[in-house]
Amino acid sequence: MAASTTSPAPGTGAPALEIAGLHFRYGDRGFELKVPSFTLARGEEMLLVGQSGCGKSTLLQLIAGLIDPTSGTVRVAGQDMHALRGAARDRFRGRSVGMVFQTFNLLHGFSARENVLVALLMSDTPRSEWSARADALLASLGIERVDALAEELSVGQQQRVAVARALACRPALVLADEPTASLDPENAANAVRVLRDACRAQGAALLVVSHDPSLEPHFARRERLAGAAPRQHAGLAGDGGPIHGAHAP
Amino acid sequence: MSDLTIVLRSLRTRMFSTTVVVLLVAISAGLLLAILSLRTAGERAFERGTGNAHLLVSRDGSPLVSVLNGLFYANPPKAPLDQAKVAELRAAFPWAMFVPTAVGDSYRSFPVVATVPEFFSVFQPVLGEPWRFTEGRAFERNFEIVIGDGVARETGLRLGAELVLTHGSGKSREGAGGNDGDDGHAHVHEEYKYTVVGILAPTGSPHDRALFSDLESTWILHAFDRFERAGTHRDVTVADLTDEDRVVTGVLLRLPSRDPSSAPPALVSQYDRLRRDGSVTVAIPSNEVQRLFSIVKSVDVLFLAMAAATLVSSAVAILLSMVNSMSERRRQVAILRVLGASQARIFWLVLTESTVVGLVGAATGVVICAAVLFVATRWLLGAHGIVIAPELDARSAVLVAMGTTLLAAIAGIVPSVLAYRTTVARGLRPIG
Repeated sequence: MAASTTSPAPGTGAPALEIAGLHFRYGDRGFELKVPSFTLARGEEMLLVGQSGCGKSTLLQLIAGLIDPTSGTVRVAGQDMHALRGAARDRFRGRSVGMVFQTFNLLHGFSARENVLVALLMSDTPRSEWSARADALLASLGIERVDALAEELSVGQQQRVAVARALACRPALVLADEPTASLDPENAANAVRVLRDACRAQGAALLVVSHDPSLEPHFARRERLAGAAPRQHAGLAGDGGPIHGAHAP
Repeated sequence: MSDLTIVLRSLRTRMFSTTVVVLLVAISAGLLLAILSLRTAGERAFERGTGNAHLLVSRDGSPLVSVLNGLFYANPPKAPLDQAKVAELRAAFPWAMFVPTAVGDSYRSFPVVATVPEFFSVFQPVLGEPWRFTEGRAFERNFEIVIGDGVARETGLRLGAELVLTHGSGKSREGAGGNDGDDGHAHVHEEYKYTVVGILAPTGSPHDRALFSDLESTWILHAFDRFERAGTHRDVTVADLTDEDRVVTGVLLRLPSRDPSSAPPALVSQYDRLRRDGSVTVAIPSNEVQRLFSIVKSVDVLFLAMAAATLVSSAVAILLSMVNSMSERRRQVAILRVLGASQARIFWLVLTESTVVGLVGAATGVVICAAVLFVATRWLLGAHGIVIAPELDARSAVLVAMGTTLLAAIAGIVPSVLAYRTTVARGLRPIG
């Protein structure tokens, strides 16, 4: 796979993601994550590399509003995610943030098509658009067996369905958490290509976190979140300063 | 795609446990419904048995015993009413119905009711439902006998068949092959053969299991015994009957009434007036049946409580099943939360799941109960001629279904709260 261009893809209006003064402290483990400033423009792609336990997934959960920071702000498409409460935040997340996971986390017992439709059900997308949008997405990603149960699909197909689900609501931002961890290098390259192509087609910004340095050539913008070991600070050079994920002394 | 689709898919992924729990709920709901139906059927059967008699006069120990003996043929009454008392009763009021009966003889354990021909014309075994004959006619001469539908089915007696009766409640030689019955004084009157002249249509009342003959024939049997006790063996005729022979065990009374289905205003005053006569026992049959139900109500409640406990245990099964599936559900909940589902929506999804299990279980229980009762009804009618078989009451079915669904929903609260509180990060951890 060819490396992406080095120039960010600027979007219109507010950036897809803006982080300012983010501080998260996880009490019982003494874990601390600091992101002084970070921006991801609309349509931009970025890889965040770091060892296991350095806080990559925690950062994604903070961005998605699944956990609250100790301090600081996370803006997705201009909206302060943590200023929203309860169902409003959940709705906003469903509409504005797509997520792809290492194990895809497709809903078992649901068909490929239904997995995409569930995402639309949870958003405020008009019902009249659901079928057309789901079918078009799955077709564009090469999924033919749309009525097959998720668990009956091959790993590659499951990954594509997961991508389709993440993009179903036309989010401003797609977060991918170790999307290639369970794949061999060839399939990992293919998976990244599928993910990037799909996000580009939808105009969504893409933030991939991975422990796999082999993905670095595929991304023009890449950062490293280092220092996962206890009592060590980690740093990532964001656009406004280092991102730290560390176990506090 | 809707929230209900998510619920149904979730249930489908746990098909085995879902099926088991649904069946458990169905059996519990069906059991409760069956008990309710049986209770209703029992009440209706008893209510039917009282017929259109407003009053029953006898010399039994209590009004309830009087009704049980006189209309439900539980036991032969011990103390008879003589002709003087019968005449006195007849003259006391312009009765719309005055039907004396003598119960005491039997045929193969089936009670024989000696009565007057008006028994078939003015007395109704079930209020609003006169007697109907499947075959033949009412008795017109001495030693003619009419048999109930149940007797015809169980004994195989047809029109023209001859039989002999047992004085007392024992079994006759003809029927069981035995000499004497369960009554120490029972003995068979082979000297007098009765001829079956009529077979009654089923009424769904105790009358179906009785035989009916004229009073004079019964009195002749008693007179024969009287002569035997005196050491005289002879053919007895009506001319030989004395007042000692001409006794009855009860009198069925009905007051004139414009509305056949409601009690006339004079009933209470006549009842009170008759009760002042300490030599007789006066009963209002419908009241005594209600009294009987109130007596057996505690047992009834016990059965219902047991069925309700079974239903509650099925709700607990729902709870356990759902809690046991929490590890799998946690992942599903986390995915839905990531996709934008609120905690409240997750709560309602899980609660709906338990409610659906309850609803489907209850509906299945109603269907199973209805099917079983349908088969039982047909079987009882075909094999035993029982008309009032348990039938599914729509109101009970709706109430049981609603109650079961509500219980299931309550059982779903705990797993719903657990799902509500599920930590998304924990639920999204890679499996294995």
